[in-house]
Order: sequence, then structure tokens, then C-alpha cells
Amino acid sequence: MALGNTDTDDVPAEGADGPDEGAGEVEARVGMRYTLAQVKRDTTARIGIYIVGFITAVALFASIDYYILDYAIAEAILYDPESDPDTVRRLLPPFGMENQFGQGVLEHPLGTDHRGRDIFTRLLYGTRVAMTVGFMATTIGLVGGTLIGAVSGYYGGWIDDVLQRATETVYAIPFLVLVIAFMTAFGRDLRFAMIGVGITAIPVFNRLIRSRVVSIREEDYIEAARAAGVKDRNIILRHIIPNSFAPVLVQATLQVGVSILIVAGLSFLGFGAQPPTPSWGQMLSVSRGYMLPAPTFSVWPGLAILITVVGFNILGDGLQDALDPRINN
Amino acid sequence: MSLLRYSAWRVTQALPVLVGIIAITFFLANQIPGDPVEIMLGPTPAQEQVEAIQAKYGLDRPAHERFITYLTGVATGDLGTSIYYDRPVLEMIILRLPVTLVLMLSAFAFAIITAIPLGVISAKRRNEPADHVSRIVSLIGVSTPSFWIGLVLIIVFAFHLGWFPARGLVLPWADPADVRGAATRFEVLRQAAHHLFLPMIALGTLQMAQITRIERSSMVDSLQGEYVKLARAYGVPESTIVRKHAFQVAQLPVITIVGLGLSTALGGAVLTETVFEIQGMGRLIITAINNQDYELIMGTTFMFGVAYVVGVIITDIAYAYLDPRVTYGDE
Repeated sequence: MALGNTDTDDVPAEGADGPDEGAGEVEARVGMRYTLAQVKRDTTARIGIYIVGFITAVALFASIDYYILDYAIAEAILYDPESDPDTVRRLLPPFGMENQFGQGVLEHPLGTDHRGRDIFTRLLYGTRVAMTVGFMATTIGLVGGTLIGAVSGYYGGWIDDVLQRATETVYAIPFLVLVIAFMTAFGRDLRFAMIGVGITAIPVFNRLIRSRVVSIREEDYIEAARAAGVKDRNIILRHIIPNSFAPVLVQATLQVGVSILIVAGLSFLGFGAQPPTPSWGQMLSVSRGYMLPAPTFSVWPGLAILITVVGFNILGDGLQDALDPRINN
Repeated sequence: MSLLRYSAWRVTQALPVLVGIIAITFFLANQIPGDPVEIMLGPTPAQEQVEAIQAKYGLDRPAHERFITYLTGVATGDLGTSIYYDRPVLEMIILRLPVTLVLMLSAFAFAIITAIPLGVISAKRRNEPADHVSRIVSLIGVSTPSFWIGLVLIIVFAFHLGWFPARGLVLPWADPADVRGAATRFEVLRQAAHHLFLPMIALGTLQMAQITRIERSSMVDSLQGEYVKLARAYGVPESTIVRKHAFQVAQLPVITIVGLGLSTALGGAVLTETVFEIQGMGRLIITAINNQDYELIMGTTFMFGVAYVVGVIITDIAYAYLDPRVTYGDE
């Protein structure tokens, strides 16, 4: 059962979580601590956590180097393309392979790009853009969708009608097309990619929250809170939204992966991170011109995207399994 | 309500959404920085030329007036004139839409044909090796960018092995005289299939993976249904149970997911067309944007919305037709 007070969310309570829950006593399926405990028991979710954790760590490292040290670490330890322009080796294959530009060398394990920059380093630094965009876009979608869904479901009536028709309309334009049009209008850089992708995620969270709110709205404890004179805004913020924690967390995790895919697609089309900022989509876009002489150049950024998104997807699936009472019992 | 009336009602319901799409695209197009007249005439045009162009495209009138004009135009099938191509927008769309539709249809055909057996086998042999393989395939499928699949396919099957062409598309109904190296209808069809193969896989993989996932979970649910238990108790052979009892019921969620996948696939078409240099709707919208061709941007965005709405209506009607429980909303 959903709890009346969010401060005690991780204390077990009796009752059912939702209308589809069977009778009997189960723990309250809300709260951060409970979620973590469940996830630790699920092998798939754990693998997801390892992948996501690793990529987040790399992204943090890259962010520190970028924002605070102005790429000092990258240039000092990993590579420095400008150190000697005469010896720049462009389009080298990975270590142990050979192509028309020469033999792969150990200092560039995955080879070099069209300007002689180390592909491995650029992949590592590409995590910064991917993760920032993934998290920011998801946050925008989450906050926007939660607000719209909660207000819409709680008040019903014409407010619900107007808000739902509006989000349906946004959803009706294929989202890549919508974001491209949005970025054309407001700006082609990464900020607008995040906002655009975030807007396309609003309908997803809206639908999720709204359906939860509609089912929770009539519960006795909400009635009680209302009768006790608790303001609507507080009922939504303190009771209804916290009770939708589990499905939202699952959706948000999956949405980070989806956002990374969309932004990679946008960068591939020339919308998003602009050179020289390393981003996977933009690396793939450049590599298209060298598919014949240096085919491996196109392989790595795609693999990086694949591994990252797989991480978020299995984490999301694992969370779902861990938090779904029907599978659990 | 009959199925026909339900369909009509569903189409009417979509009208406000279409007006909404037009409003959004009109608003976005109006936010685009830069002056279309300057793009057409260069940086220092003569004043009369500017006025003539502004009058021709209605750029001298206020936004709300232009919106009403545009809306009535769309209602009568007039999407304006493309500044870049100097042709009616509708004409450009009619030229390009079939290409994208062929690509989309083949991608969904590929997705459905591969996903349904995969999902069914996965559900039937739950937690066995076949299930694990199918789940890993679908996990990778939902996590891979479609345009990257396209690039890898081109590298391997076009450049390295030389089995398929790396770019372009031949429409199956093209005139043999217009297709290089094709003298007969059969050869045109062969070339069409040949060109379509790689883009179809690139675009269809994500859909394939999503349909496999939903097919699996839907079949798992349906195989645990009461009627399946009853059929087993009666001694009905397992293959008959899967084929006749469980399968049909399990297809309803699949239809829903196909409908929802349309949005991703239409967006994916933009990327696939870019990778394979196919001149469809996706390339048209990118060309429109790169040349700040307002009317073409609005027209193509609107058509993408229409394609999605029509697709969803078709899947809704298919759902209503297949599911005996759906009461078409009035009972």
C-alpha cells in the first residue's frame, strides 16, 4: 500500500501497492533504500550498474579534465595531436592491424582519426557529452512529464483534456523530426539538443504519472488528507508523486539510453555537439567519409554507444524485475 | 457501432491533433533565424525584388494571418511553394513519400517476419539457451543506433563483400527504361530488392528487437492463461495450444507496439536515408532545413506527423478488428 507520509517511505507497511496487487501483506515498494536492496539481489541489474557506473566515472573524469584542467590530462598523458605536426599519423588502424596509411601502433590502440587524433581518447571523452545529454534530457522529460501528468490526472476535467491533447500532439510528430525542427528554430548546439530530446520525453512520463495518479486519487488516505485540509499541491507533491517512484525510476533509466541514441543520431546529422568537442555521433558522421580506406574508424563510436545504451537498458530491466511485486513473489 | 463507423470516428478524432501539428510546425518555422528572402536573392537585393518575393510568399503579412492562410491551404491540399526547388511542396512530397513508404514497409515486414518466430520460440523455451540468444539479440537490437548498423552493413556487405549496393534505391514500379542495367520489369524488381536489403535491415532492426520483446512477454502471459491450462488438461497437443490458443491472443500487444514504433521508425528513416543516400522524405526535410526553405520544412514536418497519425489509426482499427472484446467505445 502507498504510504501517507513520505518521511517514512522505507518503513515496511501492510497492504497492496496498486490496484492490480493481490491480497496479503507485502512491504512498501517505495523509497530509495528498498530499491537499492532489491537491485542488489538482481544479477542483471547489477551488471547494468557496473556498466553505467564505469561510464559515469569515465564521464566525470573527462568533465573534470575539460572544465577545470582544459584537457591538460588528455594532452599530457593520453595524446597530443599538435605536438609535432610532421609526424601526425592520420587514419591509422587499431594496434595489430594494417591499412594503406600504415601499421597500427600501441600508443593508439584503436587507431587514429582523420586528423591524427587518438580514437580511444576521443571515445573516452565522448562519454561526457553522451552522459550529460542523456541525464539532462531525461531530467527535463521527467520534471515536465511528472508535473503535467500529476496536474492532469489529479484535477481531471477540462484541464486534463487540454493537457493530454497537447502532449498527444507533441507525440504525434516523430521525435527525431520534431527535435530537428526545434533545433533549426532555436539553435543547433548541444543545449538545444538536450532541451529538444527532453521535450519529446515529456509525453512518456506524463502518461506514466497520469495513470498512477488516476488510480491513487481515489485511495482512502488521499481522501483523508483532503478532508484534513491538506492543500492540493501538497497532496500531489508529498503523496502522489513519491508513490509513483518505482515505475518512474525504471522509465527514467531506460529513457537515458533512448536519449543517448537520439542525440547520437542528431549529431550524426550535424545537429548537436559541434567539432572539436568529441561526441560519438559526430565521430560516426566524420567516419562516413573514410569507410573504404579506414573501416574500423566507423566501428568504435558505434560500439561505445551500444555498450552504454545496453548498460542503461539492462539496468532498467533489472530495476523493473526487482521492483515488480508480481515477479518478485 | 460498426467497424466502419468506429474507423470514421477515429479519423475525426485525429483532426485536432493534425491542427496541433500544423500549429507546432508553423510556430517552429517562424522561429527560424535568418531571412528567407536574403537566401533567395543574396545579401544585397533590390528593394522591388524583395517586395515582390515577400508578396509572392505572403511574408509581408502578420503571423496569425499567415497561419490562417496556411491552415486553409492545407485543408484544400495546398502546402505552399518550396523556395529552394521552386515547385509546390505537395509535388515534392508526392515525389519523395513513396520512397520512404517503401523503406518503412519493408523494414516493418522484415521486423515482423523475424520477430514473431523469435518471440514465440523464446516464450516457449523460457530460460533455455534459445531464449537467452533471442533476448540478447533483442537487447542489442534496442540498444544499437540504426545509422551505425547501416554503416557497418555498408562496410561489410557493400565494400568488403560487394554483395549489395551501398547507396540509392530503385522503386519496384519504376519504368525499366529509367533504371540503369534493367531491361525488363523482373530486373527492376530484382534491383529494387537488391537496393532495399541493407537499408531495410538497418531501419528494421530496432523494430524487430522491440517486437521480439513484446511478443515474448505477451506469449509468456498467454501461455499461462486459464484457457491454455484447460486445453492442456484436455490433452490438446502443445503445438496446437501454441498455434491456436496462445498465439492469437498474444498478438494484440504486438499491434500496439508496432503502432508506437512508427514514430521511431519515421525518425529512423531520416537517418537511414542519410546513410544510404536515399532521396526520400528524410533527405527532403534535411535539404529543406539546410536551405531554410520554410514552407518545405513545414510541409515535410506536417507530413511526418500525418504519416504517424495515419499509422496509429490503422493499427487502432486493426486492433479493434482483431480483438472481439473491443466495443468501439459506445456500449
